[in-house]
Amino acid sequence: MIIKIAWKNIWRSRARSFVVIGSIVLGVWALLVATGFMNGFMVSYMADIINHDISNAQVHNPEFKKDFDITFYISNGAKKAAELRNWPEVKATTTRTIINGMIASPKKATGVQIRGIDIENEVKVTQLDSLIKEGTYFTGIKRNPIIIGSKLVEELKVKVRSKVVVTFTNSDGMITSGAFRIVGIVKSSSIKINELYAFVRQEDLAKISGIGNQVHEIGILTKPQVDEATIITKYEGLHKEDKIETWKEIAPELAFMQSMYSQMLYVLMVIIMSALVFGIINTMLMAVLERFRELGMLMAVGMNRIKVYLMILIETVFLGAVAAPLGLLIGWLTISYYSNTGVDLTNYSEGLESFGYSSILYPYLDDNVYVIVTISVFVTAIIGALYPAWKAVRLNPVEALHKL
Amino acid sequence: MSVIKAENVQKTYNETKVPVHALNGVNLTIEKGEFTAIVGPSGCGKTTLLNILGGLDHPTEGRVEVADTNITDMSDGNLIDFRLQNIGFVFQAYNLIPVLTNKENIEFIMLLQKQDKKTRDDRAMELLNQMGIADKADQRPSELSGGQQQRVAVARALASKPKVILADEPTANLDSKSTATLLDIMAKMNAEENATFVFSTHDQRVIDKAKRIITLEDGVVISDVTR
Ligand SMILES: Nc1ncnc2c1ncn2[C@@H]1O[C@H](COP(=O)(O)OP(=O)(O)OP(=O)(O)O)[C@@H](O)[C@H]1O
Ligand SMILES: [Mg+2]
Repeated sequence: MIIKIAWKNIWRSRARSFVVIGSIVLGVWALLVATGFMNGFMVSYMADIINHDISNAQVHNPEFKKDFDITFYISNGAKKAAELRNWPEVKATTTRTIINGMIASPKKATGVQIRGIDIENEVKVTQLDSLIKEGTYFTGIKRNPIIIGSKLVEELKVKVRSKVVVTFTNSDGMITSGAFRIVGIVKSSSIKINELYAFVRQEDLAKISGIGNQVHEIGILTKPQVDEATIITKYEGLHKEDKIETWKEIAPELAFMQSMYSQMLYVLMVIIMSALVFGIINTMLMAVLERFRELGMLMAVGMNRIKVYLMILIETVFLGAVAAPLGLLIGWLTISYYSNTGVDLTNYSEGLESFGYSSILYPYLDDNVYVIVTISVFVTAIIGALYPAWKAVRLNPVEALHKL
Repeated sequence: MSVIKAENVQKTYNETKVPVHALNGVNLTIEKGEFTAIVGPSGCGKTTLLNILGGLDHPTEGRVEVADTNITDMSDGNLIDFRLQNIGFVFQAYNLIPVLTNKENIEFIMLLQKQDKKTRDDRAMELLNQMGIADKADQRPSELSGGQQQRVAVARALASKPKVILADEPTANLDSKSTATLLDIMAKMNAEENATFVFSTHDQRVIDKAKRIITLEDGVVISDVTR
């Protein structure tokens, strides 16, 4: 009966109830959409960097990262990469010879990281070929082909088939250079791929580097759902001389971003829900004051305080119960729609891409976000009801009955 | 058997600048089955007395017993339950629950008492018939006239067969015809169910129907006549 009365009470002042329901619906929708879009940003950004650049884990010589000295290569790198490939947790590995140097076109010169890659295995780990926007992935040019990023192309004012010269210090400390011809241009959300990397065949680089086929980096792609930590421990047990790191250690800023974004949901939730709490308090307080005499009568004839309290609480929860599914539905529809079609941000993408974001955004929500948001609506409704309900039970029936 | 016993009941309102002595030592006993009017000029303390007898308010001095229970110092929380089990109320402004039907309003107190559905149903229909508004069972109070609403309110008070029904000016908002009808119904229920009624009034025609008339003046009983 209390439930029935509470349910009917929320329809007494329709306009007021609709305002509250409407604001909850809007709040829930905004929360879902904002979170979905943030996730979309993050997922595409992280996916690009992790999938196409860092991969799950990398092996280096412990000294290598300090100054990228050409002589700090991984001993038996190729053999270790092959050995890792047979691990059940590992999907693919690839090796890279990495040398920092300069790249020059007839017009301009700039810093570059020359990456001598194993072109077949590189594709298995980073799908580098999928990033090709112009030209080909090492086909069509026989001698010294090179792939560079779209930003670097702009900077050097070159195009496919242009000749560039890379220069670096070889293992003997001598300045060495080699002429390469652009075979392909890659484009990605990753600033490094766009601006910093120059990909060449390992064997081409070996001819001029002075270190032969030695490699500085092994990139490891794990099978889905594999915890990178298990690979780390296993590898460290086998090869103490090397340094193996997960993407979280290699790019701590990405790991930080990921945790920051997942906390953003809660921050947004707290902001939106606290705004709603005040709306709910206000509405329910009005509902209580307006019914002061009626509540006084209920207490006079013997409705105890717990029941009165519950009645107000249930009324508020009902408002949430009507609003939450609506908000969730509209939010879900919005996200589903845009996660199929994507949101084209090309008009704004000049700015976004320089931050490393891609220009078509696919919002995305974990299922548990819907659960968290639903719970938060009910928690909010209950918090919003506490004070008005307390006001209701504290009334004095004699005084309340006197009020008009 | 007495249902209400008031001994030297005094009430002083201290919230005002000058304390108001609303009741100055009221002694009275109400027996089961009485049909009693409390009368007197405006401000003589009728409402105050009914509130105290009904356990809605505490006396400043004295002692109140209802259904052989001393309610003088009972806590507010316990008083709510006590009222639920023992006292029926009829208010001047009807005070029905607008979102419930008339029948549901009548069942409401039985429901708070956790009586089963069949008992509630039967009793509500019986009362609706006795009140002459059986055809209005499923309408809302707002669809009824004032007199009809007050009959629903009387039915609600009677439904759980309380020890006593207290009514503060139940006819003050009614025209003379509705007043007469309501009084007839109350008298009938008094006769048929031996329900005990105590009501306050200004209205001479209501006073004429009462079997016992207690007159208050300045917070004391100045006459008590049983006919
Ligand atoms: N809450 C209160 N605070 C202060 N004084 C009050 C309060 N309630 C009643 N009084 C005073 O107590 C006295 C008795 O009031 P009460 O309402 O009992 O009279 P009444 O006989 O019911 O009058 P009426 O016939 O006008 O309803 C009056 O002087 C009134 O002003
Ligand atoms: Mg009065």
